[in-house]
Amino acid sequence: MESHPLIICRCEEVTLAELVETAQTYQCTARELKLRTRAGMGCCGGRTCRTMIDQVIQQVTGQAPSHTVPLGYQPPIRPVSFHTLGGHRA
Amino acid sequence: MIDLLIIGAGPAGLSAAIASARQGLAVRVVDEFYRPGGRLLGQLHEEPDGMWWNGLDEAARLTETAKSLGVEICCGVSVFHLTQSQNGWVVSTTQGEMTVPLLLIATGASEAAVPVPGWTLPGVMSIGAAQVMTNVQRVRVGQRGVVIGVNILSVAISRELQLAGVTVDRMILPPSTTVSGTAGQPEAVMQSLLRVAHLAPSLMIRIGSKLMRSPWMQKLAIALYPSKGFSMWDIPIQLRTTALEIVGTSQVEGVRIARVAADGSPIDGTEQVIPADFVCIAGGLSPLAELAAIAGCPFAYVPSLGGHVPLHNESMRTPVPRLYVAGNITGIESAKVAMAQGTVAGLSIAKARGKLTNEQPLSDAIQQVKIVRQHATIQFHPDIVAGRALVGQMTAEWIAP
Repeated sequence: MESHPLIICRCEEVTLAELVETAQTYQCTARELKLRTRAGMGCCGGRTCRTMIDQVIQQVTGQAPSHTVPLGYQPPIRPVSFHTLGGHRA
Repeated sequence: MIDLLIIGAGPAGLSAAIASARQGLAVRVVDEFYRPGGRLLGQLHEEPDGMWWNGLDEAARLTETAKSLGVEICCGVSVFHLTQSQNGWVVSTTQGEMTVPLLLIATGASEAAVPVPGWTLPGVMSIGAAQVMTNVQRVRVGQRGVVIGVNILSVAISRELQLAGVTVDRMILPPSTTVSGTAGQPEAVMQSLLRVAHLAPSLMIRIGSKLMRSPWMQKLAIALYPSKGFSMWDIPIQLRTTALEIVGTSQVEGVRIARVAADGSPIDGTEQVIPADFVCIAGGLSPLAELAAIAGCPFAYVPSLGGHVPLHNESMRTPVPRLYVAGNITGIESAKVAMAQGTVAGLSIAKARGKLTNEQPLSDAIQQVKIVRQHATIQFHPDIVAGRALVGQMTAEWIAP
């Protein structure tokens, strides 16, 4: 129906169809879905798609959300240059 | 040498800075945006008593007060990492490392996205982005746009766009997908709007009648079924129309819409494309808690507060030593609640620093949060009090009261 595929993770260009299909096939956790599709692993660190990945898992596998944050956060939580992280400019 | 670093110069962060500086603490506030105020900067609405809430003025007032007390406010600074040290925190920022004994995270909320096919086209933005462009940067987002997602926030911001002379063609629902939750279901959306019917005098139309008898509510209930929806300030709100796709080749040119049944499924033969040069997507807010997670703070999942929130007690202390939180990171509520929470955090941190000689102001401030919450004009969720109680119970397992 749609001429535009529904992209969920913009950084890695992962579509909703791909996420739903993967979750259906593997009946997995949000973390496994992330690792299998790379959704949420792009340069923004999943700032937009994180909650949607959680929702796909809830809807497809029926896993209830827990008090633990499903997808971990890793520093740096903002895109920063290597220079900012302590590198030296050539 | 500073006593306290506050991350976030919004209503909570600035209020905390003021409260703690008044007790003699040396305070620095950092914020990612280029000017202080946070979400206050975009806010402009009429209160039920007829007064206008102008967030820009509030932000200026808080900023001036903080500065007059010696608070250092650093804008355009992003925090990307936190680590605990022996006597406090090492905070990694785009302006270098900062070492500080006590830390307050007041990072607020981020907008939740509701994806729509074509949402990656230029000209599509979140409703909050449109608010900032309009009210802060004074940039016209477009000539004529469509708002996808009907909730209290998107209705208020559509009104702000209209006040600024930007035409909102209509407000419609997002398509019902795996990730849209109930935002694409007309009945669920109507229910959530009915909850804020008490706002009718200020946000909707000027009528003073009681909840169920209000003509506005009757109008709303009936409007679900006729096709044209209802209008507020001449903005059509169509709860039985969904966005199927945002269309355009290199930028937004329009939105393909269809009428939907009460459960959100499109009705065949009702499709049409309406022209638009911008689209705002409104998916609500969720607490921006990434730094609390990095700091090792335990969380609670509380839908009425907007998702995962860091555990904290009434004094805004988290189970992590020397770490405090305030504002929308603890749950989505109005700016006034955030300000009241900020004051609590500021006093609580002054106490931890041994600078609070009299504890009465702290217990008064804790009371004040509850009073402000009770009188809040915008109650984002009906179960906020229950959600807060759950967080309190879970926190009590970590921190003795």
